[in-house]
This record gives sequence, C-alpha cells and structure tokens, in this order.
Amino acid sequence: MQSSEVVIETRSLSKVYRDFWGRQKVRALKALDLEIRRGEIFGLLGPNGSGKTTTVKLVLGLLFPTSGQALVFGRDATDVKKNERIGYLPEESYLYRFLNAEETLEFYGRLFDMPAPLRRQRIADLIEMVGLGWAKRRQLREYSKGMTRRIGLAQALINDPELIVLDEPTTGLDPIGCREMKDLILRLRDEGKTILMCSHLLADVQDVCDRIGILYQGELQELGRVDSLLKVRDTTEIRATGLSEACQAEIRQVIERHGGQVLSIGNPTTTLEELFLHIIRESEAHPGRRVRGGAGNGH
Amino acid sequence: MVIENPLPHFAEWFPAAAASWLLVVGVLIVAALVLGCLVSVLRYGPRLGFTVALGTAVSGVVDLVCMSPRRVAALSWLAVKEAIRRRVILVFVLFVVILLFAGWFLDVGSSEPAKLYLSFVLTATTYLVLLLALFLSAFSLPTDVKSRTIQTVVTKPVRPSEIVLGRMLGFTIVGTALLLLMSVVSYFFVTRGVSHTHEVLAENLRPAGPAVDGRQPLSGTTESSQGHRHRLFVDAAGKGVIESEFGHWHEIQVGGTSDKPSFEVGGPEGMFQARVPIYGKLRFRSREGVDIDRGINVGDEWFYRSFIQGGSVAAAIWTFSNIRESQFPDGLPVEMNIEVFRTYKGNIEKGVLGSLSLRNPRTGLIVEVKVFESKDFTPLFIFVPRKITEFSGADVISSKRETPDKGVEFSPPQNLLDRRLAERKEFDLFNDLVADGEVEVWLRCLEPSQYFGAGQPDLWLHAADASFEVNFFKGYFGIWLQMVLVIAFGVTFSTFLSGPVAMLATVGAMIGGFFSDFLTRLSQHAVLGGGPFEAIIRLVRQENLMTELEPGLRTTAAQMADRVAEAGLWVIAHILPPFTEFNYADWVAYGFDITWDPWIVVPALRALAFLVPVFVAGCFFLKTREVAQ
Repeated sequence: MQSSEVVIETRSLSKVYRDFWGRQKVRALKALDLEIRRGEIFGLLGPNGSGKTTTVKLVLGLLFPTSGQALVFGRDATDVKKNERIGYLPEESYLYRFLNAEETLEFYGRLFDMPAPLRRQRIADLIEMVGLGWAKRRQLREYSKGMTRRIGLAQALINDPELIVLDEPTTGLDPIGCREMKDLILRLRDEGKTILMCSHLLADVQDVCDRIGILYQGELQELGRVDSLLKVRDTTEIRATGLSEACQAEIRQVIERHGGQVLSIGNPTTTLEELFLHIIRESEAHPGRRVRGGAGNGH
Repeated sequence: MVIENPLPHFAEWFPAAAASWLLVVGVLIVAALVLGCLVSVLRYGPRLGFTVALGTAVSGVVDLVCMSPRRVAALSWLAVKEAIRRRVILVFVLFVVILLFAGWFLDVGSSEPAKLYLSFVLTATTYLVLLLALFLSAFSLPTDVKSRTIQTVVTKPVRPSEIVLGRMLGFTIVGTALLLLMSVVSYFFVTRGVSHTHEVLAENLRPAGPAVDGRQPLSGTTESSQGHRHRLFVDAAGKGVIESEFGHWHEIQVGGTSDKPSFEVGGPEGMFQARVPIYGKLRFRSREGVDIDRGINVGDEWFYRSFIQGGSVAAAIWTFSNIRESQFPDGLPVEMNIEVFRTYKGNIEKGVLGSLSLRNPRTGLIVEVKVFESKDFTPLFIFVPRKITEFSGADVISSKRETPDKGVEFSPPQNLLDRRLAERKEFDLFNDLVADGEVEVWLRCLEPSQYFGAGQPDLWLHAADASFEVNFFKGYFGIWLQMVLVIAFGVTFSTFLSGPVAMLATVGAMIGGFFSDFLTRLSQHAVLGGGPFEAIIRLVRQENLMTELEPGLRTTAAQMADRVAEAGLWVIAHILPPFTEFNYADWVAYGFDITWDPWIVVPALRALAFLVPVFVAGCFFLKTREVAQ
C-alpha cells in the first residue's frame, strides 16, 4: 500500500517558544527532518514535552515555525487548502459542548463546503461507524470521555481525508475502545490513507505503526521501521506447547553446549490487554458463567 | 431638538467622503505593510522576513476574496448557537423586568409623557443591547482559543476571514432578533403607557353664547386624567372640539339630547408624531441693523444658540429655499422652540413678547404676521395663511452686510425699494413674500432687555407628517448600527487579545467614539485649558482654565508634549466611529421624522466605512496569530 509519494515533509523544522517580551522560553523542536509517505502509519514517540505535539501543530499550521519548513501535500503548512485533505483528532476532543453529535458533524461538514445530501449521508455513516446512534441527539456536555473521543474521531473523518493526524488517539479509551481505535487505524491504512499519530503509549505504537520516530527534548533520536527497530538481534525466543520437563532440560543442555545462556524458558504470559479482552468476549458469549483466565484457557 | 452637527445630503457628502475614506484606508494599508515588514524582518531576518510579510499580505487578500458563503453561514450558525447557549434571552427578560418597574417611576402626568417614555425605552434598549454585543463579541474567540475548540476549526479549510465574518454575522443576527423583540415590546409599552381618556361631565360645562334652534353652545373642561385636563367647546350643532394640552388632543363625540347631552372622549391624538421639518439657514441681524453670522453671547459656554436683544432691530433670520405652492397650498406652518433669556424677572407667569415676520428677499417686503408670548423652550406653532389679512405691520427693508473687500452691501439695493408694496391691506404668501421658492422668517424679541436665543434647527416649517411607527423603528436602526459596530470592534480586538482585555479595548473604542467630537476639538487646540499634559498641571496646581500657565521649562515641556499628544488624539478621533451620530433617540422622542437622506443613508454608510477596515484588520490579526500557543 505504501507508495513513494511524500505526504508530509519537514525541512530543518525548529520551534522556539518565546514569552511576551520575545525572550526564549523553550526550544521545543530542533531541526527536524522527516518524510512521511502515502499509505504508511507513522508514529511519533517520546516522553511528555519531547516535541511530539509541537511537530503535529506545526504540520497542521496551528503554530508557525521559528525556522525551517513543513510541507503537506507539497504545500506550506500554513496554506488552508491543504486542510481539505486532512483529518485531525486532537489530544483531547476539542469540540463545542453545546452541540449534539449530529450538529457537530453537520457543522464540520459545512466547513468542508460539502453539499447537503453528501453531508447527510456521511454523517449517518460516521455516527453508525463510531457507534453513537443511540446518543446522537444528546449534547456533547453529557458525553463520557470515550464517547467524546469517538465523536472527535468522526469529525476527523468527515471529509474522507487522505491524511489523518491523530494526537494520542487512545487516550481516555477503555481497552475495547483502544482495540477498536487501533483496528480502525489499520483499516484506514488498508484503504490507502496516510496516518501520522503521536503517542507515549508504546504498546499502541508498536501494534499499529509501520515506522516510528522517537523524539527526546525536541530532537529526533531514532527513525525506522517498527519491526526492525524492535527486533532484538542477539536474543532468541523459543515458544512451544506440549514439551515435557525432560525435553526442556535437553533444550537447555543444547543451548549451553553451543555457548548460549538460557535467560528463561517457561510458559509465556499474555498481555493484560489480551486477557481482559478474552474475558469480556467470553462474558458476552456465555452470560452468567464465570470465565477463567490464564494459561489454561487456550491462550 | 438640538442638532449640533447637521449632516449634508448624500449627493453633497458622498464624493468628498469617499475620497477621504480611500485616502485614510490607503494610508492605513501602507502603515500596516510597513509595520508588518518590520516585525517580520526582526523575526526572520531581512530577506526571508520581507518574503514572509509579502506572502502573508497576498494570502490575506486571497482570504478576503475567496470566502465561502457556506462556511461563513456555518460559522454564523455556530455563533448564534453559542449566544443562545450563553442565555442571551436573559437580556430580554431583564429588559421586560425593567419595563415593568419603569411603569412605576415614569410620570405620565409630566408635560410631555410620550417624550419621557420614548427616551426611556430607547436609552434602556441602547445600553442593554450594546452591553450584550460587547460581552458576546469580546469573549467568544478568546474562549474558543482557551478551550482549544478553535484548533478543530482552523484545521478545516476555513479562512480567518470566514471565522471573523461568521462571528460578526452570527452575533449581529442574535442582536437583531433581540432588538426586534425589544422594539415591539417597547412600542406597546409606550403606546399603552400614555394612553388615556377623559370624562366629561355635563354639569361642568357652561353656556358659551346664545342657543340656536334650542341647542346651547357649551364650553368647559374635561375631568383630570394623567395630571391634566383639556378645555372643550361644543357648538350649537352638537360638534365638540377638545383643545390641545400636553402635546395632544382627543376626539369627542357628543350624543344624548340637548337637555341631557352625553360625551364620549377618544384616546390621545397627536401624541406620537413624526413631523417632517424643513430647516432654513440661520443668520442674525445686529442691534445696528447689520447682518451677522452669530448673535450676542449672553455668557453661555455652549455656543449652539445665539441671542438677539429685545426692543431693538435685532432679529434671527431663517432663509428657507425651495418653498413651493404645491407643497403648502393653504399656508406655511411654522414651528419653533426658542430659548428665552431674561435679564430681569418681570412677570414670570407671562411669556416674553416676540414677533414673527415673513420677508421677501427679492423685494424686501416684510410683513409681521404674528405677535406672541414665548416661554423658555415652550413649543410654538404659528400658521401663516395663504391670504394674509391680519398682520401687525408691513414695511420694505434692505438687509445690510459688511464685507471686508466690497464694503457695505444692501440687498435689495436701497434705490430699488418700492415702498408702495407695504401699503396694501392684504398679502398673498406666494405672490408677495416668496421669491423663486425663497422666503425669510424673521424672529424678533419685542421686550427691551430681554433676549431670545436660537440655533438653526430651533425654527422649522412643518412640511408633513410621516408614519410614527416607521420612525420608531428607524430609531431602532440607529441602535442597530451602534450594535454592529460594537460587535465588529469586539470580534476584531478578540482576535489578538484575551477576553477581558478585548472587552476593555472595545469599551475604550466606544467611549472614544462617543467623545470623538471632543477629541477632535482637543486635537485642534480648541478646548480651554490646553491638552492632556497642560490639564494635568492645572489639576495638580489647582489652576483654572482661563489663566495662562506660568512661563517656564515645565510649561514649555507640557505644551510640547501636548503638541505630540494632539496628533495622536487626532488620529484616534478619526479612526473611531462617532457613536453619537447613530443615536436617533431625540428624533423619535421629540417627534421628528428621521429622513432617509441624509439621516439614515449617511450614518449607515459611515458605519460601513468603519466596519470594512475593522473587519479586514480582524482577519489579518487572526491570520498572523498562532492559535495553538
């Protein structure tokens, strides 16, 4: 799906925050060079204050660079025309709380100059997609954080964008919501869309991103494909089922004979997220029965 | 009614005004470009800075030209929704509550209750609507920036111009709806508030002449209602007339028998008027009989009115043009409202005697048509009939004017005066006194040592009556113009200032606008006591305004600082809208028609002339601002 067309390009992009008197407060981003290509999911990683959100805001034209340049679809980031092809989900869904879900999507749809029939169809589809049909007439002030996040996602997709910028997309979502969000991100990638997301939740990034860039104190520390970055080349993991104690002892001996060092051999554990999801799925499938988790449940 | 700054008609005003506007806007654009370049060069260095500034200016122009009506409509709709959510309707509720309580305090027994009621509702509406406009406009964008909702809007293909215009339109829609509601409620409040009738009791009427066919003419007074009663006459034919009192009269129907008549009195008539006035050009005649531009100053600091001395040849002379027979087929209805300045008290219950004359400026024939008693600011109505048979004097006189270059000039020349014109017993208004549509109305004070004071709009011809209802809503149009200006300033300030600061800046613009006349005079060094720095010295040293400051370094420094400050004041006075010009409350309250040209057209265009640059400035401020910081 990934093509050679560059969707986002930053050239020595730098940002210095200044105070009222023009004195330098923080150097938030230092000479960032980045290229994001069509059809990939790119993750910006880093601890709080590392410059992830600043990068996203510079790319969206919400901030102006101190030096350098950010180009989106070949246009300068401050050019509003680029926004016709962009969907943006901010860190917290900054939406008008006095509107209901339908009004919210209607409002953002009209900002894209969409004709009324197309707008109505798109609104119905998106409300269905994010599962808020039952609450579409309720003001957003009455929404839970997860619901607000969903409607925020819907507004980001109202224009069927080619580039989707997601700032901490799973923040505030429960495990089911997280999984749904990640599935949706992958689905959007499969549809040929480009996704730039920033997060400090490593698991999220690991699950969905094709490439990542790691920022620390405004500088790019690492850039590459997730699979190659995460591969620990000098460690071998053995996972198998149905091995007896004797067999395991024999494997240990083979490793030691070849000069290797056994770190651990045992039953692998699932992630908490996987376990939780399994329990929920089992509960939904068999109401009233207590679900037993752990290694004996088929995982 | 006082009209301190009469407006020229649209056709006279527009060419010069448009040229001046283009010049000012041109200067502002150049100043903004230079400032923008400077800031940009300081931030990005010389080469890149200039490119950035130019790029911003060009894309700003594109933003203004390429606005999408659908997006503007969406943003306006959002502003309306936001205003409704912020309980804008409470302002209307507050207004109704104010009206409910006002009913207790507004005195219907005053001499002009309609004026009182109309002034009150228009003033209350103005304050409430302007306050509402101020709060809505100044806090909206800063709230969006603070809550970051603006970030989801500006990441859509929305131009700053659409955000600014959408806000301005949305709040204008809300304000207009509220203003309409208030005007309708006010209309009923005023008309119901002063509505009354009088009872007429047969036993209070006296015979007023011999009976005709067994029916007796009667006269007397009505019963008191709202603090006044009217004199009434019933003729032998049973037709009744109620005299005007407190600015209104009533229709009366007489029924019953001659022995036992019954009377039915209708509601007040003529209370709500929209008189169409024709104003003349005022000059004065001095005690020496020479024409001058201004009369005597009796010590009033306000130069609006000039005075003429009683018992002399001094006169206030209004020249009316374009007076056509077709417009006044029956005669000239002259109305006036003059100031009486007494140098001795005399009989305070009685007015001061004055006379009104009409003069033909071509022949010099002057006919004194009425001698009257005038009390201070009591409206007088004098009807000059087509055939003038009753008059107190006639003469033929030249007006005399001294000019520096030509010496003394007489009009008409004295050798051309035909004295026989004044010897007739009857005069025709149009044949004898009006020449080519021009006629002069002379006002004289007849009592020695008493004075009449007049300004140009104090005497007028009552040409026709327009619809009061239309005039009432025209009065609200003035409030609407003020509201739109406040919204525009509020939104523009809020594009680069925080909510409270934007509100203060808008209030400052309003106050400056209300006093723009004073600021202009201050900048032209035409105010006693000098400029701001000199005034500070006088305040601290407790010196009065008339004395010269003690010469010295301090005084020189203050006066030099004032010269600099005056230039700034001049600029401020000319970039702030003159809010008082949009206030039509007096017109409605005093019952004058607000004529479309110039009183609606010219202020509306003036408001537009301020709105366009303010809107453009707002767009550029928002465009050059980082909304996410």
